[in-house]
Amino acid sequence: MESRARGEMNTLASFYREREQAILGGGFILLLILIWQIVPALISLPRGIALFFTTPVEVIKSFYQLVVRNEIQSHVYTSAVEFVVGLGLAIVVGLPLGLVMGRSKILDAMLDPFVTAFNATPRLVFLPLLILWLGIGIWSKIMIVFVGALFPLLINTYEGVKNVDRVLVNVVRSFGASEWQTMKVVVLPNSVPYIVAGLRLAIGRALLGVVVGEFFGASRGLGFMIAGAATNYKVDVVFVGVTIFMGLSLALTHLVKRLEARLSRWRPDEVKTF
Amino acid sequence: MNSAERQRAMVFKRFYAEYQRLILGMVSVVGMMILWELAFTYVIPLNPFFFTKPSLIAEAFKQQIVSGSLWHDVAISSKAFLLGFGLAVVVGIPIGVFMGWRRRAEYTLDPFLTALYASPLVALAPLLIIIFGVGLTGKVALIFLLSVFPFIFNVFAGVKCTDRLLVNVVRSFGGREKDIYFKVILPSIMPYIVAGARIAIGRGIVGILVTEFYAASEGIGFAISRFGDTYRLPDMFAAIMVLMIVAVGLTEGLRKLETLLAPWKVGQEAR
Repeated sequence: MESRARGEMNTLASFYREREQAILGGGFILLLILIWQIVPALISLPRGIALFFTTPVEVIKSFYQLVVRNEIQSHVYTSAVEFVVGLGLAIVVGLPLGLVMGRSKILDAMLDPFVTAFNATPRLVFLPLLILWLGIGIWSKIMIVFVGALFPLLINTYEGVKNVDRVLVNVVRSFGASEWQTMKVVVLPNSVPYIVAGLRLAIGRALLGVVVGEFFGASRGLGFMIAGAATNYKVDVVFVGVTIFMGLSLALTHLVKRLEARLSRWRPDEVKTF
Repeated sequence: MNSAERQRAMVFKRFYAEYQRLILGMVSVVGMMILWELAFTYVIPLNPFFFTKPSLIAEAFKQQIVSGSLWHDVAISSKAFLLGFGLAVVVGIPIGVFMGWRRRAEYTLDPFLTALYASPLVALAPLLIIIFGVGLTGKVALIFLLSVFPFIFNVFAGVKCTDRLLVNVVRSFGGREKDIYFKVILPSIMPYIVAGARIAIGRGIVGILVTEFYAASEGIGFAISRFGDTYRLPDMFAAIMVLMIVAVGLTEGLRKLETLLAPWKVGQEAR
C-alpha cells in the first residue's frame, strides 16, 4: 500500500519534471488571471479604484456582448484593412529598396542618412502631419502603418543583401550572370531569413501604428473603440480591445517565428540570432 | 606644373575614396533640402496650410529657440522620459538577472513577459492616462511599461551568455553569491544593458508621443500635435526635427558605446 503511494508520487514527480517548463509558465499566467479574478471578492476596493477595476469574467462577458450586438465586427474589420494594406505597401516598397541599397554603394551612401534618421525616430511623430494631410479616414492610418513597418523591412533586407557570400556572387558572375540573375539566384535566397526577421519586427510596428493611429482622429477601429471606452470608464471594453490586439500580435509573431525557424533550419546559428 | 596638377587630382581622388560615404551622404541631404526649397519657391505654388519649405522651418526653429518655448516643451518631456526610463532600468535589470540566473524563474516568468513584450501594450495608454491623470505620472507609467521589456530580455540573454568558467573560478576561490553577481555577471552583461537601452529609447519616445498626443498640456508631443491642429506647419516641422535629432543622437551614441563595449553583435530586437 505504501509502496504504491510512493510509486504514484514518483510518477507525479517525473510527470512534473518532464513538463516543468510548461507547468510553471502556464501555471503562472493562470495564477495571475485567478488572482485578478478574486481580488474584488477578497478585499473591498475603495470606490476610486473600483471604478477602474474589472475582472477577467467581466471582460469575457463584455466581449460576448459586443459580438452578439454586432458592434465589434466593423471595428475589427477596419483595423484589419489598415493593417494589411499598410503592411502590404511596406513590403512592396521596402524589399526592392533594401535590395537596391544593398547592391549599389552609391545609392546606399546617399540614402543612408535618411534611413538612419527615420529609423531612429519613432514614426508616430508624423501622425499629426498625416492626419492633417490625409484626414481622419482610413488612409492616414494606412500611411502610419506603412511608415512604421517600412524601415524594419528595408533595413533587414539590406542587411541580408550585405551579408551575402561574396564567393557565391563571384562564381555566378564568372559564369556570366547579369545583375538581375545574380539577384535572383544568390542574393534573394540568401536574404530570405533576414527579410522574415524584418517582417516579424514590422508586424509589431504595424500594430503599433494601427492602435495609436486610431486613438486620434478616427471614427472606427479597435483603437478607436479602446479610446472611446476608456473615456467612458468602460474598463472591460478596453481590455477586450487590448486582449484582441495581444492575441493577434502573439499569433502573427508566432507564425512568422515558425516560418523563420523553418527557413533557417539549414543555416549556421549566426544567421538565426540576428 | 602639369605634374603638380596631377598630384592634386590624385590627392583629391584619394580623399574622395576615403570619405565617399560621408560626402555622398552630405550631398544627398543638402541636395534634398535645396531641391525642396527651390521646388516650392519657383515650381509649385506653396499652400502654407498643407506644406512648408526649409527656409520657413529654419525661421520657425530660430523663433522657438529665442522665445524659449521649445526648451520648455523638451524639458517637460525629458523629465517624464528620464523618470520612466530610469524606473525601467532599476526594475528591468534585476528581473532580467533573476530570470537568467534561476532556471525556475525563467520557466515561470518567460511566457508571461514574452507575451507582454510581443503585444502592443500601447493600447493600454488611454486606461493609464485615465487612472494616473494627464500629468507626469501617466506619462512615466506608459514610458516605463514600454521600455522595461528590452532591459529584461537583453539582460536575460546576457546572463545566459555569462562564462560558466568565470563563475566556477569565483566559487573555487571561495567567492560568495554576491561576488558572482558583482564581479562576473554585472561586467559581462554591460554591453547587453546598453543594447537594451538602445532599443528601449525608441519605445520610450513612443510612450511620450502617445501620452502627449492623447492628453497633455505641454511637452514636445503636445507641441507637435497642437501645431498640426492650428496649421502651423513650419513650427510643427521644427519640433519634429528636434525630436529626430534627439532620437538619432541617443540611438547612434548608444550604438557606438555598444560596439566599444562589445564589438560583436549582442542587441536583441523585440521577440
